[in-house]
Amino acid sequence: MLLIEKLVKSYPGQHGQDAMLALRDISFKVEEGSFFTLLGPSGCGKTTTLQCIAGLEHPDTGLIQMGGKTMFSSRENLIVPANRRELGMVFQSYAVWPHMTVFENVAFPLVYGIKRAPTQEMRTRVLKALEMVELGQFADRPAPLLSGGQQQRVALARALVHAPRLLLLDEPLSNLDAKLRDTMRTEIRNLVKSLGITTIFVTHDQVEAVSMSDQILLMRAGKIVQQGSPRDIYLSPNSVFTADFMGRSNLITGVLDRSGETARAHTALGPISGVAGPALKPGASVVVVVRPQGIRIASTSESSGLNCFKARVQNMNFLGDVVEMQVDIQGSKLTLMLNPYTAISVGQELTLEFPPERCVIVPSEVPSSCGPLK
Amino acid sequence: MNGPTVTSNGRPGTGLDQQKLVQSLLLVVVSVLVLGPVLVLIRTSLAPSEAMPFETLDFTLKHYAQLLQSPRTISLMWNTVVYALSSMTIGVAIATAIAWCTERTDMPGRTIVRILMFAWMMVPALVIGFGWILLLNPGNGALNVLFRELFGYLQPILTIYSFWSLIIITSFAVVPTGFVMISGLLRNMDPNLELAARVHGGSSWATLTRVTLPVLTPGLFSIGIYMFMAVVQAFDLPLIIGLSADVPVLSTRVYLLSSPDNGLPNYGLAASFGVLLLVLAAGLMWAYMRAIRLGERFRVVTGKAYRPKRITLGLWRFAAIGFTFSYCAAMMLPLLILLWVSLLPHYSTPSLSAFGGLSFDTYRRLLTNPMISRAIGNTIILVISSATIVMLISCLIGWFTVRSNSRAGKILDALSFLPMAIPPIVLVLAILLLYLNTPLYGTIWILVLGHMTIYISFGVRTMSSALIQLHKELGDAALISGASWLTSLQKVTFPLVWPQILNGWLWVFAHSARDLTVPLMLMTTSNIVAASTLWNLWQFPDLPGAAALAMLLMTALLAVVVPSQLYVSSRLER
Repeated sequence: MLLIEKLVKSYPGQHGQDAMLALRDISFKVEEGSFFTLLGPSGCGKTTTLQCIAGLEHPDTGLIQMGGKTMFSSRENLIVPANRRELGMVFQSYAVWPHMTVFENVAFPLVYGIKRAPTQEMRTRVLKALEMVELGQFADRPAPLLSGGQQQRVALARALVHAPRLLLLDEPLSNLDAKLRDTMRTEIRNLVKSLGITTIFVTHDQVEAVSMSDQILLMRAGKIVQQGSPRDIYLSPNSVFTADFMGRSNLITGVLDRSGETARAHTALGPISGVAGPALKPGASVVVVVRPQGIRIASTSESSGLNCFKARVQNMNFLGDVVEMQVDIQGSKLTLMLNPYTAISVGQELTLEFPPERCVIVPSEVPSSCGPLK
Repeated sequence: MNGPTVTSNGRPGTGLDQQKLVQSLLLVVVSVLVLGPVLVLIRTSLAPSEAMPFETLDFTLKHYAQLLQSPRTISLMWNTVVYALSSMTIGVAIATAIAWCTERTDMPGRTIVRILMFAWMMVPALVIGFGWILLLNPGNGALNVLFRELFGYLQPILTIYSFWSLIIITSFAVVPTGFVMISGLLRNMDPNLELAARVHGGSSWATLTRVTLPVLTPGLFSIGIYMFMAVVQAFDLPLIIGLSADVPVLSTRVYLLSSPDNGLPNYGLAASFGVLLLVLAAGLMWAYMRAIRLGERFRVVTGKAYRPKRITLGLWRFAAIGFTFSYCAAMMLPLLILLWVSLLPHYSTPSLSAFGGLSFDTYRRLLTNPMISRAIGNTIILVISSATIVMLISCLIGWFTVRSNSRAGKILDALSFLPMAIPPIVLVLAILLLYLNTPLYGTIWILVLGHMTIYISFGVRTMSSALIQLHKELGDAALISGASWLTSLQKVTFPLVWPQILNGWLWVFAHSARDLTVPLMLMTTSNIVAASTLWNLWQFPDLPGAAALAMLLMTALLAVVVPSQLYVSSRLER
């Protein structure tokens, strides 16, 4: 549905500084009907990418196609302006127009847009869109009299009323309070899935990304770090950055050894067997990523098994739905997440097992930065 | 920039195409408005006096030589600087005192003072000047006659026709503007700075002199430079008072050289004086911008809604009321005498015996005079077209300066700011030289052109500060919804800032109506407006007629502007 090829975008330097490279060679593809998330820390280029798709910004070079139609091509010298791309977009500030009623806001794309509808049809479609976001009875209310959550729904109805090619969501949940955010997360996902519309979602919150998306594209400093399903990205990170960004993890540095049946990393704890990508060469300096939920407490009889280590409990932190436990293994500090019913006390000696399929070996970080353009 | 071009998918005239088209149009319009006159002015100052600027290819430095060799130039510069500096100092001092009383103390009647100050900003300086002449002229000025009758003085005790009278009346006239600027400054100051001084044992007086005034100094300094610039550029009061008092300043000199009472205009010399004044004003502009930037560094604005406790004046209250009342009386007197004169068939000083003769005859006479009707019609065309065209252009330029990063946007910004540094009298001279031999000369539209050029920098500044506060996503949402760029401006962006648009419109409307510089310099029999007719009636002299027209002009202005502004400010505060 959406094809992005080799997007490069730089911003001219201000006040005598060098130009900044916001996007460095971004390419990806989004399937029809997919919920696709651009995820990353601020300044990673996710919003710039979305703005380029929307046509509010234009890349320096590259290609953007939607449903086979070229929207931007530096080679063909072609830009389709934002108002001709037939898109729907929900903005971070919602951008609900305060001088109009709810109805007028939602009717705007059908009255002034490209795909205009005759008055009668327009009325039916607007009311249908309002019903869809459960705002049917608010049609005549002035927009400033709505709550934050209601404004968000108006923005969503306005973005969907003209049946756009793509729905773009620019951090739409970041201005809502925590409880409403959880509700809207499910609602938005169910709504767009039931309509079958292809959705591009931008967020810096990995919980939102994991819970809503079919595919996640993780970005950093204008580059793509990893693309995959939420499960792939969470459980099989390809870098320290991904592991760290997607949630808490224990990072143990070491050197890769491929001499045995499985890949092993020699670490301060001793050798750890795990999963390593084929690109990693023996002798490379690596990091073993183990999620705090991935470590098992073994029975004492298993104490000499593969990936088993003796540990001393240093601290127990009761958080309600989980217990966070800090342990010490030969001077290294590790964190575990346990069931709150676990009865373990501080100072206790334990044997911990790191199941090899849960130990992901990734290259240690190569520093890369969004620095000045050479 | 050589970026990819835009296709419109078979439907031309939308999106970026519109933007490019409008941007090029604006560039052309603003260049013609601003650069054209300045270039012609410089060319004229370098051309031989016999020829018009377009008719000759000769260059000569004769006018500059004449200007530099003449001993009168020095006295002219000296007069201008003394006049501006003294008026500014007295004006800012009075304005600071009154602003401090209304913003920071419990002086009674604060709201009335504030409303009066806003209303007086609308009163043409010309009208105040005429009022003072009626009060203080040496022969039969009402106050002089009164003193003569009360105390038996034979000599007039005060005279309007002196340098000091000019300075004091000008400083009174600039106080309302100063008041509005200074009370804004006081309102934005962090009250905690004063509280801290009080908590650490400072007395009220020590707090005022050691904390409040030093903290306000950078702001007051930049307001002072602004006022100084305004007085240097002032034309109407130096014309009606200064010329009779034999105190010529640069602005009146430019006028007399280009519209002499007898003989031919010397445009070349006038233009070289204009260039001199332009250089002086540009220097002041530069100083003003620097002062603002220094003030920013000293910035004590916190934007807190917290209001400090007002200082209790106690017995000082009477001094504060007395001072404020004296100023208000000094502003009311000229208006009252004009009202009096306008109700009499022939001028006479106020007395009980004349009371019986009061009538509206003069007003009736004015309104049935075809010349006056034409002037009123012209004034309506002038003020409405100037205000509307200025705000239309300003909205668009404001959008480009705020939203577009292109070089064209920056050029538009700079060009539209330039007229701030050009004194109106110089600009009008340049417009006169540029359009003298075109059919535009002698029509009302050349006045519109002049006012557009003078007020565009105000309009653009108003609109860009309004648009900066408007979230960019509001406009983007309209584009994404499929609306063209112009539709997004028309349906979303501009409706959201309409209170500021209306505010700017009212400002241009009022200033266009009260301005004498443009109508007088470009006056012909067909393009007279209220301000120039006022001047003609006064010169004729038809004092009751002039007074009645002044009252009509003032009433009309206040009736339109004050209610609208109250409405707009209530909308903006919501």
